[in-house]
Amino acid sequence: MDSSNDEALDIIVTNVVATFRTRCHLNLRTIALEGTNVIYKPEVGKVLMKLRKPMITASIWSSGKIICTGATSEDEAKLGARRLARCLQKLGFKVRFSAFKVVNVLAVCSMPFAVHLIDFTKNNRPIASYEPELHPAATYRIKNLKATIQVFSTGSLTVTGPNVQNVATAVEQVYPLLFECQKPLHK
Amino acid sequence: MSPPGLRCPGCGSSNIVDDDLYCQSQLVCADCGSVVSEGLLASDPVGGSDVSYSRTTAVAKKPCTNQIKGLQRLKAICRTLRVHREIEDLSQTYYNQAYQHESFIKVSLQKKEVLAGCCVLVSCRLLNWPISMGTISCLLDADPMVVGVVYQAMIKVLNITAPIVNVTDVMEAHSQEYKISSSHVPEELAENSKDLTKRAVALVELAADSWIVTGRKPIPIMMAAVYLAWQSLKPTKQRLKLTLDKFCQMAKVNKHRPAMKRIAEMKEVLCKLGKEIPWVREAVTPDNVVQQVEDILQHRYALLRRALRTHEEALLEQEASSEAPTQISELSEKIPNSSSVEPCEPDAKMAEEPGDEDNNQCVMSEFHSDTQKNQDPTPNWGKRELFAPPCVIHAKKRRVEQPELRDVTGDEEISDSEIESYIRTPREARDFALTQKKLAKGEIEKS
Repeated sequence: MDSSNDEALDIIVTNVVATFRTRCHLNLRTIALEGTNVIYKPEVGKVLMKLRKPMITASIWSSGKIICTGATSEDEAKLGARRLARCLQKLGFKVRFSAFKVVNVLAVCSMPFAVHLIDFTKNNRPIASYEPELHPAATYRIKNLKATIQVFSTGSLTVTGPNVQNVATAVEQVYPLLFECQKPLHK
Repeated sequence: MSPPGLRCPGCGSSNIVDDDLYCQSQLVCADCGSVVSEGLLASDPVGGSDVSYSRTTAVAKKPCTNQIKGLQRLKAICRTLRVHREIEDLSQTYYNQAYQHESFIKVSLQKKEVLAGCCVLVSCRLLNWPISMGTISCLLDADPMVVGVVYQAMIKVLNITAPIVNVTDVMEAHSQEYKISSSHVPEELAENSKDLTKRAVALVELAADSWIVTGRKPIPIMMAAVYLAWQSLKPTKQRLKLTLDKFCQMAKVNKHRPAMKRIAEMKEVLCKLGKEIPWVREAVTPDNVVQQVEDILQHRYALLRRALRTHEEALLEQEASSEAPTQISELSEKIPNSSSVEPCEPDAKMAEEPGDEDNNQCVMSEFHSDTQKNQDPTPNWGKRELFAPPCVIHAKKRRVEQPELRDVTGDEEISDSEIESYIRTPREARDFALTQKKLAKGEIEKS
């Protein structure tokens, strides 16, 4: 995956958030009554529905807008969303699956070396920022990819971006910058 | 000349002349003297003039009352911290600039006070005067997170790049807070602040080399360093018995709970080094390591080198004694094994990291495994190295991926039977509704 070193970096996608619309009004009380695996939150005005097979949690609003979280890939998110729409159809609503969009992807990656965060921040100001008293990681924001990378001193990264491709590109972009600020693992 | 055909309404003559009274234009009949018509006395624009009254009478723009109060608070903070004149001036400039900016002009007064503290903080950082954010939050009596948020917003607004403060620099300022000189406490418990600072700084440097400092909040580390330094400067029974609680009470500082964990971690590192001292006969344990601290710190570089060499030799021995082909598997986390994996200790720092990152950050590394397993060297460096961050040594077990969801395309067929499992039958739904009603009634009757 990564052309700049021999062993491939393992980028593990841990969460995909997607939204879609059902183009019809949904009666939340009916869903809460007739659906299993459902939590009704009347104070917020939404219903949480959990699916088992793609392990997905969906927030359903009465306007017909639905947010799905918990999938581990974009396709899985789509499958889960369709399953959910099908379930709502069965409950009696005139559901039309439309406007499916992956909104956020969270991935985790581990560098084979530790990173000296202070040097990394100094070399990459103002794109990188590091406040050790607030958060142990340095934050690196890539504007054109709309991706945010949090770099920990142990060499672990968490990357968030709008889709999986951006996330991969972000890791590739940041790898050489981290490589030059690496810290030898022992003194 | 008056327009022709105009007649005086009094006498009817047409002899009408312009006879202005000062600035008011008037048409007067020359024969009888009556005023035929007159203009406006003053030509004020309709609806008031374009220039407002306050603008015409204003002298110079003065800062508003709250801004003045904020500046006074800022001066008070600077006096409390006893900083240079330049730092005070710089922070005042920043405060005035930031106050006028749109993102700060309408915030609450509490946030404006926090803004004053952040200006002081940034000026200190720029002019090389080490203070920590914790100190500022204590002074302002504000939540450190709020201070952090305001600080980051302010930096963006004012476009400042401030250098990051090192823990060792802040150490000196921090140790001044501890009131354990001979004027405050009895002689056996008192300590000279210079010696104390020196030893505490050495301890913090040692901690920084062995992964205790990285990623942790600085104040508990400094507290642990001061406590251990104080104990080791005169390791009498009385001092060794005194717990961290009592020490903080005596020194009149607020105790931080993570400091206990830092003390344990530091003692562990000191033990690892203490083992290498050639003239110590008995085993070095966390209980008796405090007496050795002085020697350890004095010769710490030599001891570090020895410890690393011993550790490397031990690893080579282990690898040589193991049998030949051990499986090299790339996806090592999939191998089910019976070795015990210690759960990652949730210390205060870990609680701040986002939840899902915590699960997957440390790829599973087996600890205390008896069987020789050759894993990917990268995730397992916590075991190979002598010093590693606690999160890597006690890594969390990653949840095993379900293999059936590998080849998902997103457009597959969804069978009816799957969906049926998510829907209650009509009978179940009725029962559910009835139970809810009964429960609701029961609660109303109770209350």
